[in-house]
Amino acid sequence: MENENFENRTDLSKLSAAVNQIKYTLAQIIVGQQDSIDLLIAGILADGHILIEGVPGVAKTLTAKLISKAIDARYSRIQFTPDLMPSDILGTSVFNPKSAEFEFKQGPVFGNIILIDEINRAPAKTQSALFEVMEERQVTIDGHTYKMQEPFTVLATQNPVEQEGTYRLPEAQLDRFLFKIEIKYPTLEEEIAIITRQHQQKTTEQLTHIQPVLSGDDIIALRQQVRSFHVEAKLLEFTAKIIHETRNHKSLFLGGSPRASLAMINAAKAIAAIKGRDFITPEDIIYVAAPVLRHRIMLTPDKEMEGASPDDVVAQIIQKIEVPR
Amino acid sequence: MLRLLCTLIFALFVHVSNGAIPVVKPVKQPLVLKMDTAKVGVRHLDSAAITAHSKQPEFQYKDDIDTTPSWWDRFWSWFWGLFKPIKLGKPNMSPFVRALLYILQYLFLAAGLAAVVFLVLKLMGIDMLGIFRRKSMSANLPFTESLENIHDINFDDEIERAISHHNYRLAVRMLYLKCLKQLSDAHLIKWQIDKTNSAYIDELTNAHQRQLFRSLTLQFEYVWYGEFAIDGQTFKNINTVFQDFNKGIA
Repeated sequence: MENENFENRTDLSKLSAAVNQIKYTLAQIIVGQQDSIDLLIAGILADGHILIEGVPGVAKTLTAKLISKAIDARYSRIQFTPDLMPSDILGTSVFNPKSAEFEFKQGPVFGNIILIDEINRAPAKTQSALFEVMEERQVTIDGHTYKMQEPFTVLATQNPVEQEGTYRLPEAQLDRFLFKIEIKYPTLEEEIAIITRQHQQKTTEQLTHIQPVLSGDDIIALRQQVRSFHVEAKLLEFTAKIIHETRNHKSLFLGGSPRASLAMINAAKAIAAIKGRDFITPEDIIYVAAPVLRHRIMLTPDKEMEGASPDDVVAQIIQKIEVPR
Repeated sequence: MLRLLCTLIFALFVHVSNGAIPVVKPVKQPLVLKMDTAKVGVRHLDSAAITAHSKQPEFQYKDDIDTTPSWWDRFWSWFWGLFKPIKLGKPNMSPFVRALLYILQYLFLAAGLAAVVFLVLKLMGIDMLGIFRRKSMSANLPFTESLENIHDINFDDEIERAISHHNYRLAVRMLYLKCLKQLSDAHLIKWQIDKTNSAYIDELTNAHQRQLFRSLTLQFEYVWYGEFAIDGQTFKNINTVFQDFNKGIA
């Protein structure tokens, strides 16, 4: 974005280069889904956990895997199943006969980028194991607290709740996700491109040749940079009004939490960074409003029966609020 | 043969056993009747205490109760009397008409009561519909700079005032709003409070105009949302671009 009169307060060249590199790498394998990729990158820059929802076969796991590969950090994957136990995720204390003491064996959650595949296939008991680690970045077992190593990001995939064998995630857990990215079916042109690439056997080869673009330390540095971005006071008010309206809207049973307000500002900052600005505009807030809110708000039963979606309600709310200018 | 031998041995064992165990007969003890010889002291009620208790009002059961209704009882008696069915019509009236009149009088009473409630609530300034629906708690945040009436703002005066106060940031904002107003007046965009700057850019059909307006929008966003410091010279440059664009609209 060129502007002859003003220059950004912070140097965004490294961030822009890394974002472009990740986008380029992903575009080699993933067809379309530009908005989803932008939101994924924004989620990582905003230090948030991301939930990716879509019907089976729309490359949710592949997208998450690619993002993980683009970052040179400790990666682990957990396949959620109905019989998974909290200790299978967090770890457990095991008795060591040699030292005659219990030793803590870390679970797969101890990593930097955690890919949880099919998160809603595990029941609420297992989901509760993620509450502390997702919010406080720590695990407490047997009276000991184990801090997670930064960066710590959870990328979770799930099928829509209407699908067979899925559970509805607890509201407290959903609120811990910065974004819920919905991956839709590809367009006809995109579908043709997917088939062509697969036919030419390009995708599998390219997947093995992906080189990391950013290290864990780079991610930490970029997150600090994004956090320091400027936000005009009226935009804070604009965000608060949107969230406040969700709590009083007649179509909603549950509105956004204060955590949602914070998430919206952080996400808007990350989107501004991707666009090459070190300050946010109302458009950044509007852009992230639906992904930040769609999993946090709950429709009233009658609206749900009518077939309304949370995105529709968010759009209605934004329409009512004056854009600060 | 063996069976016979076993039977004989068993019969012999039974005979010997019966003879070996002695039979003990129970001995009956003589019955003894025990008499209570303790002396019983008969207690009598204290007649003085009975007299004292009977003088207390709590124990005067036979007193006549005052049945005169209080003013409160009279009020309620009068009030409930209002709802007693009034004998309407003639005695030889058909049962159907009688029932209809009976229902009607209650309907009138209910309507009258509703009217009184409505009047009271109206006088108290209570929202009638708000009682039955979910209360909206939308924030009444001060909209000091609301742009809903963009057409009522005298932009030239506002810009001059901002420049005279060296408030170039506000001056750029007013220049941008003036630009939006002119685009709206020329029917090139449709002004709406919820539209973003990009939405207005997309509405412009002329490619050159769109490019210029995008550049102006960028200037405005850096100055207004980015709060970048702006001096007189920078403002002069921006103002020139805005003036050129506005001439193009006209």
